[in-house]
Amino acid sequence: MKSKLAIAAMLAAGLALPASAQDKIKLVDVIELSGAGATAGTNFKNGADLAVADINAKGGILGKQVEIVHYDSQTNPGNTRAAVQRGIDEGAYAILGPVFSGPIAASMQISQRAETAQIVAGEAAGFTKQGNPYIFRTSLSQAAAMPKIAKYLKDTVKAGSVAVVWVNNDFGKGGRDAILPELEKAGIKVAVDVATEQGQADFAADAIKVKNSNADAVFVYLNEEESARFLRAAKQQGITKPMIGETTLLGAKVLELAGDAANGVRGHVGLSTDAPIPALQEFGKRYREKYGFASDHNGIKGYMAVHMVKWATEKQKKIDRKGLADTLRGATIKASEEPGILMDTVIEQNGDLDRESFLAEVIDGKQVINTTLPRIKP
Amino acid sequence: MSAPATTNDLSRPRGRALPGLIDGTLVTLLLGAAILWFAPVGMGRYGTYVLSLWLVMSIAVMGLNLTLGYAGLKSLAQAAFMGLGAYTTALLTTKLGVSWYAAFALSGLLTFAVGIVLGFPALRVKAHYLAFVTLAFSTLIWLILRNEQWLTGGVFGISNINRPDFFGIKLFGALEFHRFVVAVTLILAVAQWWLIRSPWGRAFTALRENPIRAASLGIDTRAYTLLAFAIGSAYAGFAGALYAPLVEFIDPSPFSLSQSFFLLLMVVAGGAGYLLGPFVGALLGVVLPEWLRFAGSLYLIIFASIVLLLLIACPQGVSGLLERGWTKLTGRRGGTR
Repeated sequence: MKSKLAIAAMLAAGLALPASAQDKIKLVDVIELSGAGATAGTNFKNGADLAVADINAKGGILGKQVEIVHYDSQTNPGNTRAAVQRGIDEGAYAILGPVFSGPIAASMQISQRAETAQIVAGEAAGFTKQGNPYIFRTSLSQAAAMPKIAKYLKDTVKAGSVAVVWVNNDFGKGGRDAILPELEKAGIKVAVDVATEQGQADFAADAIKVKNSNADAVFVYLNEEESARFLRAAKQQGITKPMIGETTLLGAKVLELAGDAANGVRGHVGLSTDAPIPALQEFGKRYREKYGFASDHNGIKGYMAVHMVKWATEKQKKIDRKGLADTLRGATIKASEEPGILMDTVIEQNGDLDRESFLAEVIDGKQVINTTLPRIKP
Repeated sequence: MSAPATTNDLSRPRGRALPGLIDGTLVTLLLGAAILWFAPVGMGRYGTYVLSLWLVMSIAVMGLNLTLGYAGLKSLAQAAFMGLGAYTTALLTTKLGVSWYAAFALSGLLTFAVGIVLGFPALRVKAHYLAFVTLAFSTLIWLILRNEQWLTGGVFGISNINRPDFFGIKLFGALEFHRFVVAVTLILAVAQWWLIRSPWGRAFTALRENPIRAASLGIDTRAYTLLAFAIGSAYAGFAGALYAPLVEFIDPSPFSLSQSFFLLLMVVAGGAGYLLGPFVGALLGVVLPEWLRFAGSLYLIIFASIVLLLLIACPQGVSGLLERGWTKLTGRRGGTR
């Protein structure tokens, strides 16, 4: 009986939670540091850390230093929810992250209930359509990017048929569901529709399917590591048709992992440290110096997210949690006013963003931007 | 297996509350529930949420403990059963407007029925063959959850799952829902406590220890194996029915094969075959990683090391370790298992 009581005593040992109320602006970054989203999450974390270091070196926000803590979401909805709740309980001024849309969907009600802005790195179309006024993006959504891809396939690549390769998770499925109607509108036939798995190692079978479809071009919409594996498999199978992608396919991590196989890949890029914007290139340089590898778009998102908080706080001239979201909603942040935002950004009422984006090609293992596309609503 | 029926089951041991029937485990359960009822006061919603999540996982682990710890069947489908329960509840409450209580009961019934159907192979195959059957089932469920988008929402999941009322009391707040979870967990835990002490429970244990002897003593091994598996699966269904409104969002990822392994780990680490083992195991699996967050990026490595060392030092899990320690201290055996 007493052994049971001993177990009970252990079970009853409550959670000792540190409660800190310091004279700092506290940001809580809930981000994928393990699990399927670790590559994206680590980039975002580093970008946010770099931004906080920059801001603190220049005297903070409204004279207060910024403190940032990172909680690993394990790319798991339940854990993300716990971590966001923890951030809110600890009095976070704003929540940053996560990247994957499942975890975003599981946690966004928490920040909404607490009337706290949640600035996420997700690109899936759905979560800004639910009328949550506290959710903000740091990049274009799939819904905004896919029409640009379809137009590019039609006008520049001049493809009559396209093989669509996508990863069967919320990101890939969302992108695939967004591009298919756009392709139809552009009069492009889908030669083959290939679903692949998250974390898939061998893409030979998929590459053969794509090759046999004889499509004029291949649209690849996978996460970073899978993109690299697919490109290698496609090269082995001798696919010579143009490989077209959206941001991830041309990301720094993909170029590093795919090596030669990435050469010739083209596509639309929402954010890139190679863009012809000095602030972005400067950020890319400093990121590489600090962390020893090139930042992908998620690193830029992390940097921007912190500066969105800075801009809005200085705009409202007070530390007001609810006011922060109110100020961000519908705002236009100009890089001339807030250099940390890196490029002019328009925030729409639902948290979607509108800004310039780029068309790029991979030449000799490097991403080369050849065209800057205007904003959707100039 | 509806909630009122379960309550009736409980009233029986309570009605016959002879001193001999009350043991340390029951006292611990009641005491633990009382502590957990008040524990979250002043803890903040995060702490409360983690405690609730712990209890919900404990229910799923309790089910697996019955299957593995008492009946000795190695199942790799517990998370899939939990998913079945979670999706049943989520779909019934969000799409059809069914009350949570009915959905909870139906989730349990459905997982019980599926458990029986899947349990049939358990009559013919044992050990790792059974593990393969359940592994295939787990993958099948995961694929259905992910690919049948018209029904399950596919990879986008189901959001805005409502929390139930309790006789007009809204349970939207973290504390109110936590107390609700404590009550449901207590009911299910006491039901299992009663079950283990019943002739059924004795038969389960006999099956695990020596199936041939059990059969020769007149135990219908076929029926009992099936029953143990189905009840264990129903517990996973109940856990899922609580998980959905707790997180208010579900997608297929928490019900994948790796989660089934994780639940298995919780049973073994907590102590298979101990009634309180699941609570300790889920504490290790759910609460310990949250505690270790102060260690920053190293926390998962530390977590893995702790579990590894624990299993090397004590294959019977934490409950076994505590029992051994207690026996050494007092020179006599602790309470009944």
